[in-house]
This record gives sequence, structure tokens and C-alpha cells, in this order.
Amino acid sequence: MVGSGEIIVNDIRKIFKKGKPDEVRAVDGIGFTINKGELFGLLGPNGAGKTTLIKCISTLLIPDSGSVTVGGYDIYREPLEVRRHIGVLTGGERSLYWKLTPVENLRYFAALYGVSRKVTKERITYLLELMGLVDKSNVRVEKLSSGMKQKLSLARVLIHDPPVLLVDEPTLGLDPYFARFIRDFVKNELNKKLKKTILLTTHYMDEADELCERIAFMNRGKIEALDTPDRLKQSMPQKQVLEIKCQGTIEKDMFETIDGAAGINISHGEGFVFLRWNTDNPELILGNIIELVREKAKIYSVRVTTPTLEDVFVHLTGASLKDA
Amino acid sequence: MWVIVEEVRKSIRILLAYPAEVVFWIFSPLLWVIPLVFQGKALVGAFSSTPFGSLAGTDEFIPYVLIGAIISTYMFSAVWSMGNSFRDETYYGTLEHILSSPARPAYILIGKGLYNSILSTSFVIVQLLICVFIFGLDITLVKILPIFMFLLLLIVGLYGIGFMAAALTLLVKEAHGLLHMFEYVLFLFSPIRYPVEVNPITKAISVFIPLTYALNALRGLLLNIEFNFLKNSMILLGIDCVLIPLGLVVFHYVEKRTKTRGTLSDY
Repeated sequence: MVGSGEIIVNDIRKIFKKGKPDEVRAVDGIGFTINKGELFGLLGPNGAGKTTLIKCISTLLIPDSGSVTVGGYDIYREPLEVRRHIGVLTGGERSLYWKLTPVENLRYFAALYGVSRKVTKERITYLLELMGLVDKSNVRVEKLSSGMKQKLSLARVLIHDPPVLLVDEPTLGLDPYFARFIRDFVKNELNKKLKKTILLTTHYMDEADELCERIAFMNRGKIEALDTPDRLKQSMPQKQVLEIKCQGTIEKDMFETIDGAAGINISHGEGFVFLRWNTDNPELILGNIIELVREKAKIYSVRVTTPTLEDVFVHLTGASLKDA
Repeated sequence: MWVIVEEVRKSIRILLAYPAEVVFWIFSPLLWVIPLVFQGKALVGAFSSTPFGSLAGTDEFIPYVLIGAIISTYMFSAVWSMGNSFRDETYYGTLEHILSSPARPAYILIGKGLYNSILSTSFVIVQLLICVFIFGLDITLVKILPIFMFLLLLIVGLYGIGFMAAALTLLVKEAHGLLHMFEYVLFLFSPIRYPVEVNPITKAISVFIPLTYALNALRGLLLNIEFNFLKNSMILLGIDCVLIPLGLVVFHYVEKRTKTRGTLSDY
């Protein structure tokens, strides 16, 4: 797959412990093109190979085969140019020096990226204002909250004003307030306003659905589907989803006797069990299903809705994003 | 260049954030030196020994050992500092962010080595002052320049070893044991604490260790022992010319290997 995109990934492979019984095909022949200014999502469960792919693109990992170019620069032949072109943001807190202040951290990373002293000063002032961290500029990072640390990590990534951002699970471990801030910032400020090309990896379906123009479903090192969120959802053969929210012990095989109710997806969240069926005629199976569920669990709600990206993922892979 | 300066600045800032470390750096020169003085006095019964002089070229046992201790401070702190630097970055969680930047790892390692050399120099200055004021070591201004020249020649070579130590840490992750072994081998085969002439094997092996030439030259200068100035400086320069490129090649090779195997950020 060769083209004129900002990031071009062509048949890339990375296999760990090659030839051994525990061989892992982390990235297994992946190819896609991300256009300039696009916000592209890689959605997949933990262990799908998303972070391995990000590491290959950011030159931290050398692929076994295939090619990657970023902004026209080849990761094998021009790794320094690729690194100047990108900023890498990872989830979690440990990407900064906790014993240094935000200003000291940013000054250090500016030096790593060869930003001149004059520009560094301007960028630090601009980024701290942008992130609302001016009053924390001389406080040690260890004193900042998790959300503030992630904001500072974002500032660190932007210190050299890269045109391409690789954003790996950016809201991991953040409380809802800061997760919302990061999502809005990535979408509105970085993508829409600053026109950055963004490759975002996440295993949060809603995050990918909300932010990304196109999404690639990644599972076991392969891309299972790639399209816009709407088209992915429209690709489902069944256009409706029957969802039951309940509390109790539900087994998949309970529904095998009901025609059209075998393809169930069971997930758990906030103390509830969510049962979902992709179907064109929910009314045909609803009665029998409710009867069976009532024997084992207390039902809190029943609704008919449209397919989500999670439903598409389950349909394509047979596994849930949460536990694939 | 700025990367090196900022690396030094960052390392100093982090050091200052740990007051106990600062206390260590202030008092350890004293704690390091005093046991050697007592050890020497207990063994020899005085500050000089004629049998010792026949091997070392000077009767002054304690200054001889002190100079060995001072110079080995440089040696081991540089190797430890550069060797463990990327290990520290792994703990901070910053290693991948550093290595995904366009800054060349060699500059970052030089910055880390330089930071440690600054600390070691302050450490050595305190030790030298102890030697001068307590043991009457003769350091005239005329000697300062050649002393620093030999120290510089030693440090440059040490940076080459430091690159290899950093590579070793990237490869095996926990290199404390191996670095300790390296340290003990040097203590055995170079004239840090005793004249290597005491045993034919140590004498034969010592000629391959750069520290031997630095110690011979610095002891020669400080204790007025006869030595070949030109030969020692040329050998050290030659060793530097080999160690620096060799260290860089080894580091580059290991960095590529860890990036291929995907073990860069492993603990």
C-alpha cells in the first residue's frame, strides 16, 4: 500500500520469539495510509498489537519486514527525521521527571528535540498557558494530580511542534474530568485547530467513535476492518441491537434453544450484566429471552438500539474489546 | 551541545531533590579516605615503608594509596554513572521518550558522564585537600596543569568504557553484578591500592589497563616518582582513540539489537 499520506504503513510485520513455541505475531502484515490532518484510530483490545505498531512507527522498534514512512521519511533510512516529525504520547503517568518542575521538564525535552533556546522559552510559555498549568510551572511534577501530569505530557509532546502525533491510550487511568479534557483537546485543539495528523490507539470504543475520522480494528496483530465509524456500524448485517441490563448469573449457552438468540455478547460494568443481541427482528426473540433471563437474574432495563463499534468488533472477531 | 548542558542540569536538579544524596556527596570523601589512612598505619606502623618503596618507587605508603583511591573514584563513578544512566531512565519511565527523540544517545550519555565527572571532581578536590593538609602532599601550581591533562586523558577513555557499560545495561538490564566484577578486576590488576609489581601476573595484565598509565603518571607527578611523561600520555591518548569509537560502535550495535528484539524498555 503506497500512497502520498502523512503516515504510510506497508505490510509491516513484527514477530517476537520467532520460531519458539511461545512465538508472538504482534504485528502481522499490516498496511494503511493516514492522510495529512487526519485523526485516525486504531481500536483493539489489550495485546492486539497497537503499541507495538506505534513503537515501530516511532523508531523504537525495528520491524521484521515491511516499510513505514512518516512525512515522507523512511523509518529505516531516516530515523532522526522521523523522530523530529513526530510526538509520542503514551497513557500512564511515568513519562516525565517527577523531581523536576514542568518548566524544567519542558526545557529538557526541548533540548532533546533541538529547539533553540529562544523558541523554547516561547513554546513553554504558550504550552503552559494552553494546558492551564501556568500556576504550577515551578511546582515539582510529583505534586501534580494524574490529570495535570497527563496535560504536562501533552505539552512535552508538543514542545517541538511536530506535525504528526502518535497518541497511545491517552486517557488510560484518568478520571472522567481529565479524560474529557484530553479527548476534547486532541479533537478540537490538536486536530481541528492545529491541523496535526494523529494516530490514536485506544481500547475504549466510545473514545474511538467520538474522536476518529477513520478507524482500523486491530486484533491479534492484524487489521480486521478499516473505515469510518458510521460505515463500520452500517456494515453490520443486523441493523438493530437488543440490550438487556440485569444483575445475576447469565451463561451464554442458556439461549441456544431460542432461534436467533445464539449470537449473544455478555459484558459487565458498574455491577451490572449487559446482554446484547444483534438482530433484525428484536420483537421475535424478546419474549423468550426475557422469560429465560428472569429465571436467573433481575432485569433493570430492556432497550432496542443501533449497533456500536463494540458490536462490530464482536461480529468481526467473535471477541469483546474488553476481554478479547 | 545544548543536549549535553541540559542533561547535566537535569541530573544536578534531580540530585538536589534528594537531600540525603547531597549529604553523601559532601561527607563521603572523608569517609572514603580515613579508613585507608588507618589501614596503612596499622599495616606499616608509620606513613612510610622501605620494603614498599622498593616496589612502588616511593616509601610513602598512604599518599600512594590515597592517590589510587582518588583516581579510581573517577574511574568507577564514570562507568557506574553512564552504565546505570539508562537503567535510571527506565525507572523514571522516560527512556523510550528520550530514545524516540532525535538527540543522539551518545550526547545524552556524555551529559550524564559529564555530570558525574563534575561530582567526582568536587569529590577529588576534597580528597586532594585532605592529602595536602593532613599528609603533606606536595601539589604546586606547576603540577596542576599536567595533573589535569592526565585526568582528562583518563576521563575521555572512561567515557568510551561508559558507552560500553551503558550498552551492557541496555542488553542485560540489571548490570550491577557485572559492573562490580569489572571494578574488582581493575582493583586486582591495576595499581590502585598496591604496586602491581608485587606479583608477576598482575604486573603483566596491568599494562593493558589504561588506569595503570594514569596512576603511574599522577603518582609520578604528585609523589615525585620517576616516570616517562611522554610515553604515559601517548599511551593514554592511543587508548582514548580506541575506546571512544569502540564504545560508540558497541552502543550502536546493542541499541539496534534491543530495538530489533523489542527489549528496549524491559526491566
